Amino acid sequence: MKNASDTSSGLSRVKKVVVLTTAMLTFIPFWKAAAVVLCDFGSSAFYAGGIAMRAFGPSFPWYILAVMLFSGLLLMLELEACSLFVRGGAYKIVREGMGDTAAKLAASALIFDFILTGPISAVTAGHYLCGLINSFLELASVGVELPESAVSVVFGLLVTGYFWRQNVKGIEESSSKSAKIIAFSLAVSFLLAIWSFITIALRGAHMPPTSLQFSAESLGWAANIDWMQTIGLVGMMMAFGHSVLALSGIETLSQVYREIEYPKAINLKKAAWLIFVFALLFTGGLTFLSAVIIPPELIATKYNDNLLAGLAMSMAGPNILKLLMQAMIVVCGVAMLSGAVNTSLIGSNSLMNRIAEDGILTDWFRKIHRRYGTSYHIIHVIAAVQLAVILISRGNVYLLGEAYAFGVMWCFVFEVSAIIRLRWKKAAHKRDFMFPLNVKYENYYIPVGLILLCGFLVSIACVNLFTKQIATVAGLGFTAFLFAVFSLSERLNAKRANTMFEEGYRERINAETVDDLKEAFSELECPHRILVAVKDPENLYHLEEVLSKANAEETDVIVLYCKPVENVLYRQDMRSAAVDEHEVFTAVIFLAEKYGLPVTPVLVHSNDAYYAIAQAAAVADAEEVVMGVSGRHGANPQIERAVMTWGAVKERELKHPVTLRILWEGREVSYRFTR
Amino acid sequence: MSQNEQSKISLGSLIKPSRVLVAEAYPDKKQLIEALVKTVCKDYAQLDSADVASQVLKREEGISTTLDTGLSIPHARLEELTDFAAAMAVLRTPLRDAAGDLSIRVMFLFLSPAKPAFFQKHLQILSALAEKFKPEFIEELVSLKSAEEIAARLAR
Repeated sequence: MKNASDTSSGLSRVKKVVVLTTAMLTFIPFWKAAAVVLCDFGSSAFYAGGIAMRAFGPSFPWYILAVMLFSGLLLMLELEACSLFVRGGAYKIVREGMGDTAAKLAASALIFDFILTGPISAVTAGHYLCGLINSFLELASVGVELPESAVSVVFGLLVTGYFWRQNVKGIEESSSKSAKIIAFSLAVSFLLAIWSFITIALRGAHMPPTSLQFSAESLGWAANIDWMQTIGLVGMMMAFGHSVLALSGIETLSQVYREIEYPKAINLKKAAWLIFVFALLFTGGLTFLSAVIIPPELIATKYNDNLLAGLAMSMAGPNILKLLMQAMIVVCGVAMLSGAVNTSLIGSNSLMNRIAEDGILTDWFRKIHRRYGTSYHIIHVIAAVQLAVILISRGNVYLLGEAYAFGVMWCFVFEVSAIIRLRWKKAAHKRDFMFPLNVKYENYYIPVGLILLCGFLVSIACVNLFTKQIATVAGLGFTAFLFAVFSLSERLNAKRANTMFEEGYRERINAETVDDLKEAFSELECPHRILVAVKDPENLYHLEEVLSKANAEETDVIVLYCKPVENVLYRQDMRSAAVDEHEVFTAVIFLAEKYGLPVTPVLVHSNDAYYAIAQAAAVADAEEVVMGVSGRHGANPQIERAVMTWGAVKERELKHPVTLRILWEGREVSYRFTR
Repeated sequence: MSQNEQSKISLGSLIKPSRVLVAEAYPDKKQLIEALVKTVCKDYAQLDSADVASQVLKREEGISTTLDTGLSIPHARLEELTDFAAAMAVLRTPLRDAAGDLSIRVMFLFLSPAKPAFFQKHLQILSALAEKFKPEFIEELVSLKSAEEIAARLAR
């Protein structure tokens, strides 16, 4: 390894340069974040209608529409949850609001649904693909029909296997791919809608009935409870409960929140609106058009597992055009559903990571892949379970759909309860968004809207316990099993867990040693650069100031932590400065996420932080160098030392002025090098 | 006028031969600082050398003012001063600075007025000193025989 400075002799030089990488240091615009969520959430359009039809008959589009409208309330719930900035999604929110046990239960239930989302999406994609192949074979009069269930299982295994590998490798630019998929889906759905209206104009339309026709299997244990079948409202709730699987993937918003760029709160609201409108029109609208155009008997038999393909094939027009439309739907469906498989892996991986971080699971789960930097053990476990579920389902989408929704509903119950509780526990916390319907009482906002939402969610979740037998048995069983695993491993790791609890959350960071500082900054692209020196995770006011004002498109923010070299004698005043870099960079990444601005974290080993800062700033061609104030020395001695070091390091004329700033609450000492 | 030019003028005017101390060796940093403080205070009746030395040494207890080029810039900002003052020592045998495990070849004692208006200039001179006293320049100063030659070289 080369020394970073070849220009001067002496001890006080950078000895080692380490560039730190983590998945969470690039940020995306709101529409990309919406696309990531929609690739999962929107994909339910391809199967929710068919499953609901089989459960309670031709009135299904009304309920799918109702669920999509209801998703608006859940998105608002997520907005308030995200505004609390409790990193880690629903699990951490529940933990914060209701404690460890409730959080473990919520996480166990949610992982159950995450695990199901992959198989249900992959198998549905297989059905759509096989349906298209069969349509071609029919058109070509080949006389052969592929078995849909078998093909869907094989396809599901292949897709899951593919994303398994991709996730282990660490997929890059997934949000860009999602955006392209959603743009294509938008174009296809627009064409489909136009053609649907032409078909309706030519053939006329029949509005779907509102009456409910529950099958014996969809009544579940309610078949034996007379009053549940006689009260109309309960029936509506049962139908709604069978339709909530259309919400699959909505929880992804809390996962992508970390990645949304500055201004975070505004962009999150925009993303939520985009998700709501798209889901309402895409899932709700297309499901409704399917029910209007496809004869109910065909939905029940031929197009149960590929409803939107059925819509294309039921249009008025020549067969070849219908086939072309079906092909476009299949491309769109396979892309979105495959995206959902990917998101389910990412979501469950992320959730398991949060749990492992709390010392509930052993570090084995969080082991980082040496080459790809991913938590590959967790990915292996989740993908293996998903593959097993696909095999067990034998390609039966209805079976998978019936198993789904237990986790997501109960997780939402826990989450809304936690947010209600946090209105009291964290009353002083500034919220960028509050769920509507609040009554102000002294310093509190009594969450009337949230309480009503909680009541409704509990009602639906309870009704589902009776009607969705598979979901209840499998969901309760899996949740209990996972909860037991969490509790047991937490107890086994009690000592370790306590240590981790004391240390707090730590970001998993990959450290890559590079030859010199030049290589560390080789990927910086913005015209302006600010170097922020950090030392104390509790003293990052200066970094926050920089992040709150920096423009990500024009400025690269380099965050430099100088770690004293351990095997050489170093300056006396540096000896107290050795702080664990994980602690420092966890705090740095937290701030970067809070402001949605990317930073380049660099760790240098040096026996003099001031030399390291000056050298790094010179190599990075930084226009600003920002430091926090040292409580021990004060700002003036700091800036004196910094300007002396700068002079000693400086080899040539500056290309541009460089401003050195030392910031602390409301104050600043600065010096501008003008040459 | 550029910062460089301003600094050059300042450095040249700050050091005259009577403010240059050339020594074969010095026993420790504290004594050298005290000697330089006395040299400066001779020209400033309002300064008490013990008090100034105490302030400079107190500053030295904080962040080190010794650079690994071999230059040490002990300094203080004094209420009694209305302009900058300095003295320097050139050592034939390097003096060990225990605090930073570094060797001092040249010590430049630098005193500034405490008024905030002088602070930017104070920083400017510190930076200029560090930039000027690179190892090659220090070697050159060490090779010079007298205080006059050193002051002349500095003023050039």
